[in-house]
Amino acid sequence: MPLPWSITLKNATVEFDKGFVCRNINWSVHPEHQWLICGSNGSGKSAVAAIPGGAGEVQSGVIKNLPERVAIVSFEAQQELIEAERKKDDADIMDVIAEGTPVSEIIAAVCKDKPLADALAEKFGLTHLLDRAFRKLSTGESRKVMLIRALTSDAQLLILDEPFEGLDAASLEALQAHLNEIAVNTTIVTVLNRLDQCPDYVTHLAYVADGTLEQQVARSDTDAFQQLQALLHLKTSDLKVPPADTDNKLPQLDSADPLVRISNGAIRYDETVIFENLDWTISPGEHWQLTGPNGSGKTALLSLITGDHPQCYVNDIFVFGFKRGSGESIWQIKQYIGYVSTALQWEYTVGTSLRNVVISGFYDSIGLYSKPTDSQKQIANLWLEVLGMKERADDTFTSQSYGDQRLLLIARAMVKHPPLLILDEPCLGLDDMNRQRVLALIELICARSDSTVLYVNHHAEDKIKGIDKHLALGDENSISNRGL
Amino acid sequence: MSENYFNSLSLREQLEQLGKCRFMHLDEFTEGVDALKGKKMVVIGCGAQGLNQGLNLRDSGLDVSYTLREAAIKEKRQSWKNATENGFTVGTYEELIPTADVVLNLTPDKQHTGVVNAVMPLMKKGACLSYSHGFNIVEEGMKVRDDLTVIMVAPKCPGSEVRAEYVRGFGVPTLIAVHEDNDPKGEGLALAKAYAVGTGGHKAGVLMSSFIAEVKSDLMGEQTILCGMLQTGSLLCFDKMIEEGIEAGYASKLIQYGWETVTEALKYGGVTNMMDRLSNPAKIKAFELAEEMKDIMRPLYNKHQDDIMTGKFSATMMADWANDDKDLLGWRADTAETAYEKTPAGDVEITEQEYFDNGILMVAMVKAGVELAFETMTAAGIIADSAYYESLHETPLIANTIARKKLYEMNSTISDTAEYGCYLYNHACVPLLGDFMKNIKTDVIGAGLQLNHGGVDNARLIEVNEAIRAHPVEAIGATLRGHMSDMKKII
Repeated sequence: MPLPWSITLKNATVEFDKGFVCRNINWSVHPEHQWLICGSNGSGKSAVAAIPGGAGEVQSGVIKNLPERVAIVSFEAQQELIEAERKKDDADIMDVIAEGTPVSEIIAAVCKDKPLADALAEKFGLTHLLDRAFRKLSTGESRKVMLIRALTSDAQLLILDEPFEGLDAASLEALQAHLNEIAVNTTIVTVLNRLDQCPDYVTHLAYVADGTLEQQVARSDTDAFQQLQALLHLKTSDLKVPPADTDNKLPQLDSADPLVRISNGAIRYDETVIFENLDWTISPGEHWQLTGPNGSGKTALLSLITGDHPQCYVNDIFVFGFKRGSGESIWQIKQYIGYVSTALQWEYTVGTSLRNVVISGFYDSIGLYSKPTDSQKQIANLWLEVLGMKERADDTFTSQSYGDQRLLLIARAMVKHPPLLILDEPCLGLDDMNRQRVLALIELICARSDSTVLYVNHHAEDKIKGIDKHLALGDENSISNRGL
Repeated sequence: MSENYFNSLSLREQLEQLGKCRFMHLDEFTEGVDALKGKKMVVIGCGAQGLNQGLNLRDSGLDVSYTLREAAIKEKRQSWKNATENGFTVGTYEELIPTADVVLNLTPDKQHTGVVNAVMPLMKKGACLSYSHGFNIVEEGMKVRDDLTVIMVAPKCPGSEVRAEYVRGFGVPTLIAVHEDNDPKGEGLALAKAYAVGTGGHKAGVLMSSFIAEVKSDLMGEQTILCGMLQTGSLLCFDKMIEEGIEAGYASKLIQYGWETVTEALKYGGVTNMMDRLSNPAKIKAFELAEEMKDIMRPLYNKHQDDIMTGKFSATMMADWANDDKDLLGWRADTAETAYEKTPAGDVEITEQEYFDNGILMVAMVKAGVELAFETMTAAGIIADSAYYESLHETPLIANTIARKKLYEMNSTISDTAEYGCYLYNHACVPLLGDFMKNIKTDVIGAGLQLNHGGVDNARLIEVNEAIRAHPVEAIGATLRGHMSDMKKII
C-alpha cells in the first residue's frame, strides 16, 4: 500500500539523541518517488532518512503527513534487537541459561504476511534457520531477518539504511529484485554508501552533509548524477602508518614456524556442521583473503585463531608457538593479533575516549584498564591524526558515528603492529570515501609493515594489492594462490 | 542435619570471623595462576556460574573439566550440552572426582549437602574443595574431611557478567575466603588467589573475607534491601498510584524501570549522588520520608539480622526445603497475582530525569533500605566493606532484573535462599508501612512535586546535605569505589 499523500518537510530543524541536529530540511517525499540518501560517515544521512519515519524532535519548521506504518532496517535497529536478545540472555543472576527467541518468533512479532515471509526466507536461504535462536545467527543472517520483518510488516513507508551490506550475492540479488517489484506501490527511502550499488527502483537522490540536505537530484538528470558520484569518490592522500611502540616488546616468534596451523579443523553444534576437514597454514608475510557465503563459518574460523571460540580447545591448532590447550592463556595469543569486525564494534560499548580506544589495542581489551605510557599516548595521537579525528581525541567513543567508530577500531587493531592483522569485513557499513581510505591504509600496511594480513570480505570489488592467497569457505573449502 | 557451624563458635571467634574483610591490592596477585598451573580442576554443575567461570579459567591456561550426575549426561540435559558444546571434557563423579586436585562446587545451595556428601569420599587425599557461597559450611555445618583444603571464591556478579568482563580484558569484584578448619597445608589462600586471577577478578578488586562474614552479610543484604525492599516498594508504590488515579500503564512503567534508573545513580556516586539527582525541594522531601521509614522499619531489619545470626532463618528455610518448598512456591504464586505484576508497562515515554522527579518515594525507599541494612550489618559485627558490598553495591544489579521482567524476573533469577528471605521480608514490611502509606500522595510517587518555585530554606538544605553525606555507608563507598578506579577501570 503506497502513501496516500506526500510527506513534506518545510524548513524543518530536527534534533536527535546525542544532540545531533538536522537543520533547515526542505524535502518532499512523493508517494511515487523512491529516494536514495547518500553522504559521508557522520554526515547525518541516516538521521535525515529517518525523519519521514517520525524520528527525532522537531525544533522548528513544519513536517506534514507522516505515515502511520513505517518499517526501518538499519545497523542501529539490528543492534537494538540483538541487544534486546542479549539482555534476555543476561537475565540470570544465578544459574539459568536462556536459549533465546527463535527466528520464526522474531519475524512473527511484526509480520502481516506469512506466505511472503516464508517466500523471502526461502530466497534468502534462511528457511533452515527459522528454529534457531536469533542471537546465534551470524551478522549477515540477522540482517536478513530484519529485512523480512520490514518487508512483511505492511508498512506504508520503508526506510532501508544500508540494506545490501553484509548480504551474500544470491540474497543481494533476490532482495533487489523484490524491491524493484514492490517499488511500484510502496514508498522506499534508501540510505546507501556506494552509488555503484544504486538500485533500479531509485528515482531521486539526495546528498547530506553536516546534517543538511545539500543536494537533491533526479536520477534522470545524468549530469547531476555523475557529479554526485564524483563527490562521493573523493579520495584522501598522504597516509602514513604511525610507528610501533618500541617499549612494547612481544616475545619473539620463531621465524621458521607458521603463524597459524589448523589441522583437520571443524566446528560443530549438535548435529550441525559449520565446516570440517579444514587444513590451513598461514606463514609469516603471506597475506590471505577469506571469502564465503553468510553462515559458512568465516567468523567462527577466525575466532578459532583468536581464541574467542570455545571449540579452539578441541581442535588441533598451533598459533604463535603455542599448541592450543597446552596451558597458554588467551592473552598470550591475543598479544600477537590485531582484530576488527562488526561484532567487535557491537561489543565495544564502553564510554571511553577516542584516544583510549586506540590505546586499548596495546592491551587487547575492550575499554582501558591499565595506565597507558606516554609513548602509547603519542602513537595513539598520530593514529587519530591519520583518521582526521585529532581534535576529537577526548570525545566519547560511543557518541561517534558508525563509520567513525569503525575507523577507530581499525586503528586500534593496527596500533601495535601485530604479527597477524585480522580484518573481518572491515568496510562493512562504511561510505565510499572512508572505504577508499581504509583500503588504502590496508594496502599500506601490507606493503610497509611486518604484519601478515588476513582479510575477510564479500565485495569482490574491495580488492587489496598484495593479498595473493585465497581461502574460500563453502561446500569444498578451497585454497588458491591467486586473488579473486 | 549437622550443627550450625557459626553457633558452635565462641563469641570471640564469631566476632573475629565476622570482622574479616580486606580489600586486596593488585600487587598481591603477581604470582598469577601459578598455584593452579598443571592442576586438574573439576567443576560440579554447568549452569551460568559453572560454565562461565570454567571458560575464564580455561582461557587463563588452566585445566578445566566438568562432572555431572550420571542422569544429566545420559539424558544429554542442558548442563551436559553447555559443557560439551564448549569443548570441555565431561564425566561422572566416579570418573573425574578421583583425578581432581581442585573440585569447584558451583551447584545451587540447596544441593550442596547432597553433592558434597557424594563427592567427598571420591576426592584425592589433600585435594581442595571450593565453594562460591558459604551457606553449606556455615549454616548447615557441613564437616569436610580433615585432609581437604576448603576455600571460597565468589564473583559478585551473574555468571554472564563474569564472562563478559573477562572477555573485555577486565573482571568482576570477587570475594575470597579460606575455611580455617580445613587448611591442612596452609595453601588455601594461594589457591583462592590463583582462582580469582583465573576468572579475572583480581583486576576488578578482590575482598579477602571469611565464610561466616560472607554468609551472614549476603543473607542479610539479599533479603532486606536488595530484594525485599524492592518487592515491597514496587507493590506499595503501584497500589498507591492506582488508588490516587494515576494511569496504570504509567505507574507500572515508572516502577519497573524506576528502580534501575535511580540505582544507576547510586552505583556511580552512592546515596549522595542519587539524592543529588532530585531538585532541592524533592531532595528534602525524600530525606524526610526516608528518615520516617527508617524509624518504622528498624525493628524489622534488626529481626532479620538476629534470625540470620542465630540460624533461625536458615533452619526455617531448610524446613521448607524438606517440605518440598511448599512456602516458597506458594509465595511465588502469590507474587505473580499482585496488581503490579499483572499490569504491563504502558507505552509512554518517561525521561531519565522524570524517574527521579516522579519517584521521590522510590528514591527514599532505596536510601532508607541501603542505610538501614548497612547500619544493621555493621552493628552486628560485620565489617563496613562487606556491608557496603551486600547493600549498596549490589542494589543496581537486582534493580536491573526488575527492569527486564518485573518481580518475576528478580525472583526467578536470584537464588532460592534470597527469594525465600525476600518473601519473609515483604510479608512483614507491607503491613508495617501501612499507616505511613496512608499519608502518601502523588506528589512523591507518580506526579512529582508540581511546585511553581524551586525555593528551599538554605539552613535546612545544608542540614539535609550534611546528613546524607555523613552516613558511614558513604565514607566506605567512596573508598571502595576509589579502589576500583585505582585499578584503572577507565569508564
